[in-house]
Amino acid sequence: MAKAKAKPAAKGKGKGKGKTGGGAKPVNRIAFLLALMAMVPFSLPTLMVMVVALLPTLGAALAERGQSRYAWICVGGLNYAGLSPWLFDLWFGHHTIDYALHEITGVSMLLAAYGAAGAGWLIYLAVPPVVSAITGMTSQRQSVTLQAQQKKLVEQWGDGITHAE
Amino acid sequence: MANEELKGNGPAVTLRERYQIYPGSPLPGYSGPTSQAFYAEDRRDPKRAYFALIVRPGFPPRTNVLRALKGVECPGLMTMAEWGVVDWPPANRKVMAVVYERPLGERVMESLSDTFRRIDEGDAVRKVVTPLTEALKKLRALGVTHRAIRPTNMFWTTPEHDRVVLGDCATTPPGYDQPAALEAMDSAQCHPAGRGNGSFADDAYALGASLSVLLQGRALFARQDDAAILRAKMLNGSYSALVGDARMPVQMIEVLRGLMGDDAQQRWHVEALELWLAGRRLTPLVNRNEKRAARAFSFNGGDYNTVRELAAAMAGNYELASQIILDGRLELWLRRSLDMAEKAGVVNDTMHMAVSGAMDRKYAFDYMVAKVCMMLDPLAPIRYKGLGVMPDGLGPLLAVTMVEGGDINLIAECILRSLSKAWVETRESYNPENSILESAFNQQKVHLERQSIGSGPERLLYEMNPSMPCISQYTVDDYVVDIRDLLPALNAAAAKNAGKGWPIDRHVAAFVAARVSFDIERPFFDLADGNPLRSILAMLNILALLQWRLGQGGLAPLAGWVAGMLTPAITSFHNREARKELEREVPRLARDGNLVEMARLLDSPEARQQDIKGFEEARQIWAERQRLIKDIEAGHVGTDEEGVKTARQIAALISVTIAFITTVLLLIARIFNG
Repeated sequence: MAKAKAKPAAKGKGKGKGKTGGGAKPVNRIAFLLALMAMVPFSLPTLMVMVVALLPTLGAALAERGQSRYAWICVGGLNYAGLSPWLFDLWFGHHTIDYALHEITGVSMLLAAYGAAGAGWLIYLAVPPVVSAITGMTSQRQSVTLQAQQKKLVEQWGDGITHAE
Repeated sequence: MANEELKGNGPAVTLRERYQIYPGSPLPGYSGPTSQAFYAEDRRDPKRAYFALIVRPGFPPRTNVLRALKGVECPGLMTMAEWGVVDWPPANRKVMAVVYERPLGERVMESLSDTFRRIDEGDAVRKVVTPLTEALKKLRALGVTHRAIRPTNMFWTTPEHDRVVLGDCATTPPGYDQPAALEAMDSAQCHPAGRGNGSFADDAYALGASLSVLLQGRALFARQDDAAILRAKMLNGSYSALVGDARMPVQMIEVLRGLMGDDAQQRWHVEALELWLAGRRLTPLVNRNEKRAARAFSFNGGDYNTVRELAAAMAGNYELASQIILDGRLELWLRRSLDMAEKAGVVNDTMHMAVSGAMDRKYAFDYMVAKVCMMLDPLAPIRYKGLGVMPDGLGPLLAVTMVEGGDINLIAECILRSLSKAWVETRESYNPENSILESAFNQQKVHLERQSIGSGPERLLYEMNPSMPCISQYTVDDYVVDIRDLLPALNAAAAKNAGKGWPIDRHVAAFVAARVSFDIERPFFDLADGNPLRSILAMLNILALLQWRLGQGGLAPLAGWVAGMLTPAITSFHNREARKELEREVPRLARDGNLVEMARLLDSPEARQQDIKGFEEARQIWAERQRLIKDIEAGHVGTDEEGVKTARQIAALISVTIAFITTVLLLIARIFNG
């Protein structure tokens, strides 16, 4: 039984290792969560605002699957950028739970944060086709260069090199 | 016949810058059956009388005899002044010419069917036996045999008939023009070209037989066919067969019997002749008659009383001969009628070997008959399916047959079946020369078994006939006997026939392989290879090797001819620059006639290795490029997993950058706004 239990654990560890992008080692994740929990008593207003405002990021992180998980970073970056004026108000103005609640209940902050998160999604979805189009254009040039190199090789060594052994 | 009466007509050809030969002035009186005579003169001494014999094209002259007899002065021999190859305008080719001092008298006998005033015994001793004994003595001292002693090849040295001299013996294969009647029994059963050099005993026999004709004033046998004479010799001995009932001077009977003894071991030699001439009377040689059977053996419609007769008959009918051996009749006859138990045992053993051996039945039976015939008559030559030949006559016979376009199968079979070995084994007395002959034939059998270019019957032709000129279509007109003359001859052929075929055909290859003294086996293996490229390079290498070893230059036409065939060798290089370089260099080297450098350029192992290595690398690079191009064309670049990942990384980077810039700007705004 012990062996049977140990196996999935080992598997899970292996999978975690293979993850890239948004993935993190379980140990680091626990340390990170512990650090956050330690900060809770001192920054509860910030935490309240961030939890509410960064819900799209959280959703993206939980929803995304696969080897390369970049959606939560993409969404998270702009989500944070949209939230940051209100966050700064909190930090540099009234770092209290009341003010935090005031901000949370206000439409403007949520609109800005969520809107920015939406823009993050847009970037996440729009950039690959754009990059692909640009790469496609450069590849055509690369193809021409490669063909020229091949032609030069044929001129130097004959058609024989174009046939497999 | 005096020199003053004759003059050379028309333009002359010069032999070794001394002897002028006039093709427009034939001298039929001095021509042989196979060679033609022409008026010749010495530039240094125009008053002396000469004639030149032109060797029949393709026939191997006896160069050992030519070398030995040149300049030799002997009372019984025509003096040979010079020999060599000359341009011969009537045939539009080169030929071998032999210049002799011209005897002032005429030929002793124009034809064997002629009759003439017999020479009496006194004159015979003084004018014939004495000088010809000197001739035989001289020949023996020089280590050569004459093999052309016959009345029709004897000349009077003076118009007054003072003395006879022997005519030419070097322009034909040994014994070639000899009538069978004047040859000893073994030689008489051979093809004229297959009589071999023979021994001094053969010359002694021919002298005795010729003497018998001179003493009779006619050839008793002239109207008889060869087979009848041979049978008479077998039955009654040579003396009786050639002299018959004719009355011979008593004094001469002794010498005739001594010289015409049928057993070569007992036949008179030069010392016996000298003793006889000195007046010492020797015991007359009595011919040992063959043992006669108590009951005749019937074979093919004839009755035979002696093994020699029967062997000759068996040699003429192999089918019937194999039957009488296989059914044991021959063995029984030998045991019961002749009391020859030993020979009967050998017949039985030979038969059992043929029946139980692994060889093909037909071949085994042919070998069996040949060996039994040899064993029954140890004085006979190799007799194989109607072909008679002495082992040392196989070479000249092969040469004459090939030159005349005859069938060489029987000769080849004689060699392949090792009949020479069987012949040596069945001799009654040991002769050390036979062992040398046997080992030479073993080597030649190997050449014949290998049928590739540079081997086969052509190789045998040149191995067995050291004086045989190369009869390739390219060299036949240039009479190439010496390997040094080969490249110039090919060069001349190139000037005429460039572009037709390979310069090295089967005859040239065999000639080179037989004549060169250095190792050349490797390129010959390549030449025989089925791969055209290897063959072409081997051809070039052989010619280059000859040029290098013989130090011969000025071969531009030949090099041009070869260069024209090198396209496959050039195109075998993959690198186009290397090809262009070769296409520039090869014609230049061809113009210089430099085959050695041409071979070095085209067959350099380093260059070939480098070319192959470079080609492989280029092939790999091309394939890699092709794979990339295909990926691009298929749209895999940028849309594949890696591309999407990269794009998402860029999106994430943009997002993080915006967040960072926003944070920084807000911080700056806070700082400056208080």
